[in-house]
Parts: sequence; C-alpha cells; structure tokens
Amino acid sequence: MLDLKLEDIDGILVRYNVALEKEMTPDEAAEELYPKDDLIYPVAKAIYEGEEDDVVDALQAAIDAGKKPIDLIDDALMVGMGVVTQLYDDGIIFLPNVMMSADAMLAGIEFCKSQTTEVPEPKGKVVCHVAEGDVHDIGKNIVAALLRANGYEVIDLGRDVPVDEVIAAVEKEKPIMLTGTALMTTTMYAFKEVNDKLLEKGIKLPFACGGGAVNQDFVSQYELGVYGEEAADAPKIADAIVAGTKDITALREEFHKH
Amino acid sequence: MVKKYTSMAYANADELIFGQSKFPVKAGLGLEIGAGYTTPEINYAPRPGAGVSKEKLIKEYERITTDVMSRMVQIGAPSIVLETEHVQQMSNNPEWGGAVAHAQKTIMEEYHDEYGIKCALRHTIGDIRETRDYLDLRGDKYSTFMEAFEEAANNGADMLAVESMGGKEIFDYSILRNDTAGILFGIGVLGSMDMEMVWKDISDVAKKTGTVSSGDTDCAQANTAMFIAGGLLDKNLAHTTAIVARAISAARSLCAYEAGAVGPGKDCGYENSIIKAIAGVPIAQEGKTSTCAHSDLMGNIVMQCCDLWSNESVEYHGEFGGTTVQCWSETLAYDCSMMNVALKTGKAKDLRDILVLSDKYRDPQGYVIAYDNAYRVAQAIAKDGENNYLRAKNAAIECCNIIEEGTNSGKLRLTRFETNALAKVKADLEALTDDADQFMSDNLTKFKQEVAVFRPENYGL
Repeated sequence: MLDLKLEDIDGILVRYNVALEKEMTPDEAAEELYPKDDLIYPVAKAIYEGEEDDVVDALQAAIDAGKKPIDLIDDALMVGMGVVTQLYDDGIIFLPNVMMSADAMLAGIEFCKSQTTEVPEPKGKVVCHVAEGDVHDIGKNIVAALLRANGYEVIDLGRDVPVDEVIAAVEKEKPIMLTGTALMTTTMYAFKEVNDKLLEKGIKLPFACGGGAVNQDFVSQYELGVYGEEAADAPKIADAIVAGTKDITALREEFHKH
Repeated sequence: MVKKYTSMAYANADELIFGQSKFPVKAGLGLEIGAGYTTPEINYAPRPGAGVSKEKLIKEYERITTDVMSRMVQIGAPSIVLETEHVQQMSNNPEWGGAVAHAQKTIMEEYHDEYGIKCALRHTIGDIRETRDYLDLRGDKYSTFMEAFEEAANNGADMLAVESMGGKEIFDYSILRNDTAGILFGIGVLGSMDMEMVWKDISDVAKKTGTVSSGDTDCAQANTAMFIAGGLLDKNLAHTTAIVARAISAARSLCAYEAGAVGPGKDCGYENSIIKAIAGVPIAQEGKTSTCAHSDLMGNIVMQCCDLWSNESVEYHGEFGGTTVQCWSETLAYDCSMMNVALKTGKAKDLRDILVLSDKYRDPQGYVIAYDNAYRVAQAIAKDGENNYLRAKNAAIECCNIIEEGTNSGKLRLTRFETNALAKVKADLEALTDDADQFMSDNLTKFKQEVAVFRPENYGL
C-alpha cells in the first residue's frame, strides 16, 4: 500500500495531545499536591491510587492516632479527592482514575460513618436521573460519581424515570440542583415536561441537562435548563450554586459555551 | 449451534476495497450492495416531540422519505438506502414500526416506479430488552422485540438490523474502571452469547419474510468507549483502551453473520472492516459525513472498504440547503459518486490508500482499523474462530501488538497516558487464562459480587 514518509506526517496531522503533554508524570504531580500531615497523606495517596483497602487502613491508623472519624471525611477523604479532581481538571489523569478514586473515597466515607454516630454534612444535595423512555445511564453514572467525589449527596433516581417521579423526588428532597441526562432526541423532550411541572408547582431550581443528542439550544428552550457539555460540568455548576449563583441566567452565562 | 468462521474470505488485505464484497447482497428495489458500486445510506431522527403519537410519527417519516427521495432524483443519484433507526415508541409498539415502514416504502416505490432509482429500506429495531433497573435479554420483552422485526419486515422494510446490548452492564462498569478482563467479558463473551441467540431469531424472521438479515454493531460498547475517549485533548479514556475494545467488538459482531446474517453490516460498526475481511459481507460505514452526530478522528479512513456510506444520524429539521436529510444525503451521494468513479477508472486502490493515509496516523483507533492492520486483527480472530473468548482475546492482543509496532516505527505517536494504558491492557491480557471455562467462572464470580444489575440468567447461565 501507499505510505507516508515519517517526515511528511506532520503536514497531514498534528497530535496536539502529544505536543502539549505535561512534563510531570501523574504520580509526580499528585505527590506535589498531597497534604503533608503524616496521618492524612496516606489517606490521600490511597484515594489517588484508588485502593479501597488502603484507604480504610489509613483511616484506621488516623483514628487510632486520635483523629475523629467524622472530621476525617472533610480533612482527609475530601482532601484526597480534591487532589484527584484537580489532576483531572488539569488534564493530567483520566476519568477511570477518577471513578476508581471515587469508589475508594465512598468506601472511606462508609468506614468513617461506621466508626461514629455523628452524621457527615454534605456540601449539598443533588437529584440525578435519566429521562423517561431512556435507559442509557453511563453518562448519569459518571455525573453522579463526580458529584459524590466533590462532596455532594446524590439522590440517584436511576434511568427511564417518569416525569412525575422526578417532580416528587425534587419536592421531597429539596435539592440544590436537579440533573437530567438523555441519549436520544425523542426522550430528551421529557426534560421540558419536568421543567413545566416544576414551574407549575412554583419550584425554581437549576436543572442541569446533558448527554448524547442533548444540546445547548434545546436546553435553553426551557426556563430552568442549564446545559452541561461534559459530565465534569455538573460539580462545577453545583459549586457555583453553593457559592451563591442560583439565578438560571447567570448560570447559563457561566456554563453555556456556544 | 452456529457455524463459526475459522478462515478468511479475502486472501490478503489489499483485496479489501470499497463498493465490492465477496458476497454481494440484493435488497429492496433493484439494489445490489457490494456488487461493484457504493450507495449512500441516509439515517435520521425525528424531531423532539414527534413520538407523541403514531400519526405524528408516521407523518414525520413520510416527510423525511419524500425529502430524501426527491433530492436524490434532483441530483441524479443512481441509488439510495434509507435507514430508520426505531425510536423506542416504534420498537415497543411493533405495529407503529410496521406502519412507518409501510408509509416509507410506499413513497420509495413511487420514486422507483417513476424514475427507476434503486433503493432499499433498512429498519433498525431498538434493543428494548431492558427494565428500569437491569437488562432483560431473555425476559418478557423478547417476544415484543422479535415482533418488531417481523412487523417491519412484513410492511416494507428490506433489511433488518439492531444494535444489541448484551454485555453492556458489565462493560459500562468495567470501562470506567480500566478493567480489561471486564471489557473482554462484557463484549467478547457475554455480548457474543447474546448475539448468537438474537441473530439466529432475526435471521429466521428474514427468511420467513423474504428480507435481508443485515447485521449488528457494538455501538452499545465499543462506540461508547470511542465516544468517551473523544478527541485528542479529552482526558476521559485512553484512545488505546478504546481501540482494544473495538478489536474485541469485531469478534463479537461477527456472531451475527455466523448466526445467519448476510449484511450489509451497520454504519456505526467501526469494526466492520475486520469483519468484511473474515466474512466477505458488504458493510456500511460512517465517517466525515457523520459529524452531524459525533466526532470520531476517523473521518476518511472508514471509507476504505465501505459498500454503503452513511451519515450515522441527523435530527430532521431545516437548513439553508434544504432539510437536514436532503443536505446529508446529497453529501453522501457525492462521496459515493467519487468512489464509483474511482472504481470505474481503475483508480480505486489509489483513492482507498489516500483515504486511509489521511487518518492512519491520526490516532491509534484509525491505525488499527486501517485495512492492512484490520486484516491482521481479522486473522487473529479466525485463528481461534470456534472459541468466542479466545478469538476476542486474540484480537485484543494483536491490536496491542499493532499499536506497539506503529509507535516503534515513529509514525504513530502516543501520549504517555496512552502508552501506559496500552501497557496495562496488554499486561492484563497476557495474564489471562487461555481456558474459556475458567475465564467465565472467574468473571461470573467477580461480577456477580461487584455489579448489582448483572443477571447471569440473561445469558442462560
């Protein structure tokens, strides 16, 4: 077959990801971000490495040394996860690393809860769902994992969720935000129904939507809609709400990219 | 038992070419696919809200069909395939799908009678075998699922297809955790088992109705990996991992043909070049003309040996140049015209190689599906063709070897992340047993514990 000469390839394409690659390895970058405290460092490192057993062992060691289990959630687990999310945001590690770290962090939270009667305080509560008629949930699962990894309590309604069930969950849970994902144009229409029924009940909360065929133009058509182009936008939108930006227009200005 | 492929339909990679297949397929009104020419295949989605009633949906598809057929006649295109991918309302209500097929075929027949345009209608049934909480592959919905094929076939569909979901519950869990064994188990083992059952039944429907049992793609898994991997700057999944999933998917999607399908394989099966090399069936592909649906880093290379050239899917609405289906079908038709001229003038291999080289070194995914490398993956599959597990594992290992050779040549350049991910996948694969029963047993035990929605009974286990 015809082939290109090695020196001709750059004129055909540029692998920008290779050209832009960071000098540091992910492990080196993580090392720079870990907390220095001797008891917290192993927890953070175990979270970065996604090793659930090591997380629990490190937490146990910290508790044995006098740390309060409930404090370790914010002071160790969330700090470790903060390292992971920063490395992900900086383009240094990949999503599967984040997912494995999130699994390890959740195992750590469960362990801390089992060691105390105190109840941890999440940053806020978010209700997540996949549109009625749609069973594709990998996007929602990523959104839920990233929200949990960022300290939010997630009420996961699952997939193919009837509109009325979404409304009932919002009324019951009073979240700071609702998320909706959909793969197909025919199912994402349910988002508008959710929007309309929430407004009928006088509920005005940000409704972050994304996935497959969902686009910014569609989401902008209903009053509560905020479009998230990537799953990683969900915790950022939640953070903006917690920080005080509850107005939908302001959120759109910040997160609508097109 | 199905008859497994253990040899290659093509004697060498260079024989693979667009517009020609070893076993052309006649379909619809005067069309023959893979018989020396390429044909555009337009795919579309109704506008949001069109599925609220049967009448509204039929009207939407009538508009789409008329728009496409009229544009093809306006520009002098000799042939066209329409692919209707069922929205869930149609697959869940087979009578709706049948009514849409009937409405579309009626219009297509009018155009064929009036102008002689060769045309065929593919209906791709939605895999509705799910409940809210889990896959229900052998459960209550199976009969509705099969009824949807029969209704479509009895009412005008010429070709039957699906993008089946077997193994997806394990794959979705595994791909987000870099679990190589889980990816192999989900696609190569569970996916293959489900395909063998589904495609035997679909092929029976096709025989009974005089239609074409056309094929499946691993959209639910390999395309999910490709989609998550994204572009060069995305950090969601290493592209090396995504192409290993793709290589495994070829071993899985081949099962349709072993169970009776004859092609053309569906457009979004980027594994189709590998399958064509083994089975000799015609294939549909999508690339630069599917940017309306997604970006894939393989815009030109996938055209290398396509028989139908597709746009993947576009929402029906207006553009400056007409409706979307008119604009995209016209673009597809001009692409096909170019390929057909190349075939007629003896320049097809030159054009093929130019298409391949414009993307071959862009990304490890394109590198492996380039026809020379695709042929090698195909050989790895056929070598142990009788064993679904081993052939999927062979494909994955050969994929890793091909990428390593590419990087050693200096022409395929990877990031450190991609290189590390490749090394991990290869080490994981080489550590796996060669004993299919042992692999099955190990993974059943593991995933029954780790994945709450995994139900072995879905696979007859």
